Amino acid sequence: MSKAVSALAGAKASVLVAIEERGLQGMITLRGDFASAAFKKAVKSVLGVDLPGQRAVAVAGEKAVAWMSPDELLVMVPHEEADAVVEALSGALKSEHHLAVNVSDARAVFRLSGKDALVREVIAKVAPVDMAGFGPGQIRRTRISQVAGAFWQPEAGVLDLVCFRSVAQYVFDLLKVSAMEGSEVGHLG
Amino acid sequence: MLTLTCPYCGVSGEETEFHAGGEAHLKRFISGSTDAEFDEYMFLRENPKGVHFERWRHVYGCGKWFHAARDTNTLEVFGTYSAQVSEPPKEIKDKISAKRPGWSWRNFK
Amino acid sequence: MTGGFQPYDALMSLFREFAALPVAFDWAEKDSKTTRGHPRQRRGIRPDMKRYSAFAIAREALRHHTGWERAWRSPEPKKKYDAIIVGAGGHGLATAYYLGKNYGIKNVAILEKGWLGGGNTGRNTTIIRSNYLQDPSAAIYEKARSLYETMSQDLNYNVMFSPRGVMMLAQTQHEIRGYKRTAHANKLQGVATEFISPQRVKELVPIINIDGPRYPVLGALWQPRGGTARHDAVAWGYARACSAMGMDVIQQCEVTGVRTEGGKVIGVDTTKGAIDCDKLGLVVAGHSGVLAEKAGFRLPIESLALQALVSEPIKPCMNVVVMANTVHGYMSQSDKGEMVIGGGTDGFNNYTQRGSFHHIEETVRALNETFPIISRLKMLRQWGGIVDMTGDRSPLLSKTPVEGIFVNCGWGTGGFKAIPGSGWAMAELMAKGHSPLTDEFSMFRFREGRFIDESVAAGVAH
Repeated sequence: MSKAVSALAGAKASVLVAIEERGLQGMITLRGDFASAAFKKAVKSVLGVDLPGQRAVAVAGEKAVAWMSPDELLVMVPHEEADAVVEALSGALKSEHHLAVNVSDARAVFRLSGKDALVREVIAKVAPVDMAGFGPGQIRRTRISQVAGAFWQPEAGVLDLVCFRSVAQYVFDLLKVSAMEGSEVGHLG
Repeated sequence: MLTLTCPYCGVSGEETEFHAGGEAHLKRFISGSTDAEFDEYMFLRENPKGVHFERWRHVYGCGKWFHAARDTNTLEVFGTYSAQVSEPPKEIKDKISAKRPGWSWRNFK
Repeated sequence: MTGGFQPYDALMSLFREFAALPVAFDWAEKDSKTTRGHPRQRRGIRPDMKRYSAFAIAREALRHHTGWERAWRSPEPKKKYDAIIVGAGGHGLATAYYLGKNYGIKNVAILEKGWLGGGNTGRNTTIIRSNYLQDPSAAIYEKARSLYETMSQDLNYNVMFSPRGVMMLAQTQHEIRGYKRTAHANKLQGVATEFISPQRVKELVPIINIDGPRYPVLGALWQPRGGTARHDAVAWGYARACSAMGMDVIQQCEVTGVRTEGGKVIGVDTTKGAIDCDKLGLVVAGHSGVLAEKAGFRLPIESLALQALVSEPIKPCMNVVVMANTVHGYMSQSDKGEMVIGGGTDGFNNYTQRGSFHHIEETVRALNETFPIISRLKMLRQWGGIVDMTGDRSPLLSKTPVEGIFVNCGWGTGGFKAIPGSGWAMAELMAKGHSPLTDEFSMFRFREGRFIDESVAAGVAH
């Protein structure tokens, strides 16, 4: 099997905040009926977390589960474990109508880190989201300038942003412009 | 600039996160229908200056379709509601009645 | 101080004689129904209306400009007219003008709820072209374009028609094929267009970036006799000519109801009282649906805000009109030096005459790619108009389910260019009950499946 590489090979930039392409990240789209007990049980048993609430992210060690829509979860696991997790989920959901797909290589992930207000401000400039009300524990799917994306904060001062791999360069450049030295607005403190 | 609240993911977002899907609560007429029915369904769309019902999709968010009731003249949004209904819920109608007494749209009032 | 030579009076009488002469060849007279008589009467213009001319300027200069009269009267409505046109924008006024000029129907009122030319006529980007794919479109738009050529002389009013050339950039292979097809169609239709190379584009528009970061310029559909005109002047010129024919242009007069009897129109109710009429023309663009509802029928249109903006004035830098449909922006330079920019249409029905903010961002971004020199320009003004869109993006010039009521609407994002042709055809339709130019544009064509599908041909706003 060919060696997997991430979209931008770990590109980095240090501007107002540090921007880094995070390399390979296992990602699984999991769809199903959130109201079903079997679905909840499968998530708990395979991933070790309770089903996250609306627009919430549940973290358990290296694994995380994010609420993407009323019937869709984004499961994040180490890249090399993704296929095994898909298999486990499919097994646990055998009797349920569901979809579990490894989408790791269709995506790119960036991490922004630095002063929390600045991290959120860099996003506020490129996404139509009120970042004053955003913080750890939440995930937001939205528009990142001209492309689709989603982001969440594992902790204050850190923000992970996921987009399609095909637009990784665009998003990286966009974030660099948004975080250009001297461009701080300071409206988030 | 509209601000819409997606009833599925609870996000209040500006319109660039959404995509307008045209008139709401359409009854589709396809093969087997009369020319008049098809014409009415396909081309003679509601175009009121005032209360209007539309389909929208949270295209950059959760991806779900939903319904919105709003005023085409003032851009006021009366409310958004589930896509899985064939007419506006009473709660939405009441909200509109409070602000636009005597409104009507197609057969709804 | 009596008798003797009075140089001023002598000069004035001389000027009056000169001013009476036709100053320009009026080709449209060939079509005029009236014959003989005073040259101004031949034009259908009242002899007591003073013509604008170089002599008139000299005459007025000699008497401190005290002799200029109002360009049109502001009368109160009469009880009844032969025909009422609702909407004193370009299309409405042109309809009234040709009703009088071509068919001698001069007992006409033009009702306007706001001010003359205050709707889309005063809000568009003034582009004139006729490079359409479908035959019925090419016919009416080319008729319009050709009437623009002589409009200033025709109306004795300078509408500043500037046939500077219009190009539509081809930035994808698909667009190349589309525009070549249009160029071939135009050749058959007798519309002078050609497909030109990127190098020729660059020669015509030195400020353009043909290598574009996203979409390189691969060629263009070029119409050398397309161009621009002063949009307000078109409305004002027609209003003056209508008024001179004895028609009543009545502003701030909103139609609140349409009265019918036995399926036939008998008049309208307005904010200035009830007015009777034999024929009624609805020419109100974005509000056509609202008015049709008052008359008891529905139109296959939806109303949306379309935006435009202008920059601060700069020195002349671009003397053609450029439309870039793939990146979506179009631009020309006005005589004042402002870059006039056409923006996007909202994706949802509304009547706001404002439009959503993000379209400005989109449009300016697109134009920055195509014209890097404008990146430092300040934008001065932004505005919106309500455009009336049909399913096939072609207009409606049509009889309606109510006898005596005619509609002229659905021009969508591209009505200005059509004004004289639209008025010419609509007048014929209203006077004779049919017109070769409007036959294909019936409001019933959708039910019959006879679309004039320009949406595929133009791709976006046109």
